[in-house]
Amino acid sequence: MTEQKLKVRVFSTPTCPYCVALKGHLKDHNIEFEDIDVSQDLVAQKEMIERSGQYGVPVADINGEIIVGFNQERINQLLNIN
Amino acid sequence: MIYDLIIIGGGPAGITAGIYAARKKIKTLLITKDWGGQVTKAIEIENWPGIKKISGMDLMKQMTEHLKNFEIEIKEHKEIIDLDKNGDNFIVNDGEEKYEAKTVIIATGKIPRSLNIPGEDQFKGKGVSICSTCDAPMFKDKDVAVIGGGNAGFGVAQDMVKYAHKVYVLEFFEEMKGDPITKEKLAQSGIVEFITNVAVKEIKGTKFVESLVYEDRKNGKNTEINVGGVFISVGMSAKVGFAEKWVELNNIGEIVIDKDNNTKTPGLFAAGDITDIKYEQIVIACGEGAKAVLAATDYLKTK
Repeated sequence: MTEQKLKVRVFSTPTCPYCVALKGHLKDHNIEFEDIDVSQDLVAQKEMIERSGQYGVPVADINGEIIVGFNQERINQLLNIN
Repeated sequence: MIYDLIIIGGGPAGITAGIYAARKKIKTLLITKDWGGQVTKAIEIENWPGIKKISGMDLMKQMTEHLKNFEIEIKEHKEIIDLDKNGDNFIVNDGEEKYEAKTVIIATGKIPRSLNIPGEDQFKGKGVSICSTCDAPMFKDKDVAVIGGGNAGFGVAQDMVKYAHKVYVLEFFEEMKGDPITKEKLAQSGIVEFITNVAVKEIKGTKFVESLVYEDRKNGKNTEINVGGVFISVGMSAKVGFAEKWVELNNIGEIVIDKDNNTKTPGLFAAGDITDIKYEQIVIACGEGAKAVLAATDYLKTK
């Protein structure tokens, strides 16, 4: 375990089921994250599209690593969730 | 080891079958690629008795937890590639391992149908989407195409008119199949163009989708339209390839069953959306999964 503070950002839209699931998963494990609604924040939307190379939500940014979709396995790995 | 029953699928039909089988104490294995199937994409469900309103994701989480509460063997993230027979028993193959059982219930449901055209896979997530409720806000002020003029396609178009600059709705047949009242509402937005009798040939772009080519089915002429997004809504299909030898399919590829969920092969049952049962609802799929186990249990008694 590293003591380094994790920085987690989630790009999502309010109506997408997998976004709700991803955020619920983080909340279940008491992971703090910045919740970015890309249907409202168009600057963040542009950033998300450029960095992920795609238009689909959700996208998670965990310490700079971009994860497309609700990829529970990779998210758990990066956040040390068992 | 020979199981009494193998259930293939982890949607409402498969999970309910698992619960019933566990309570019947028959030696059961449930194999599934994922949990919840199509239901996980439903934002709100208001017709599941006992729960006034719930998201599809939450309902399936509860169903899965309920199932796992029982003593039942489960293999997750496995896709069945072949079903064969060994005498009266069945051999189920997930590509890595083979499992033998006296009875099998197929409950693999349906997946969105694809167009199988160039660019469709390449641009998935890069402008090609099958979830308009998720991705619609990404297409603000863009021109987009909805492929499929049925009620599902119209629903997608309704999501899109809130954001897009222009929405094309393309339909293969001569008439749009969706409800005229919805079509009228879409037309009133002033930004929807309906194009019928066309076959979509290719989705083009570099990094993201840039255009789409369709063929006029009357005169064979190709037209290219500039779009930043393509939403595919051409219905659902049953994927039965692995079991084709042992079942009869109807004209839309669904497994034909009798009222007790029997397929044409004794000991092989099917339940839920993969079957030719007309109405596709969560509560119906659950009922069918339960019926299939009860029928399989009766069948086991005769062995």
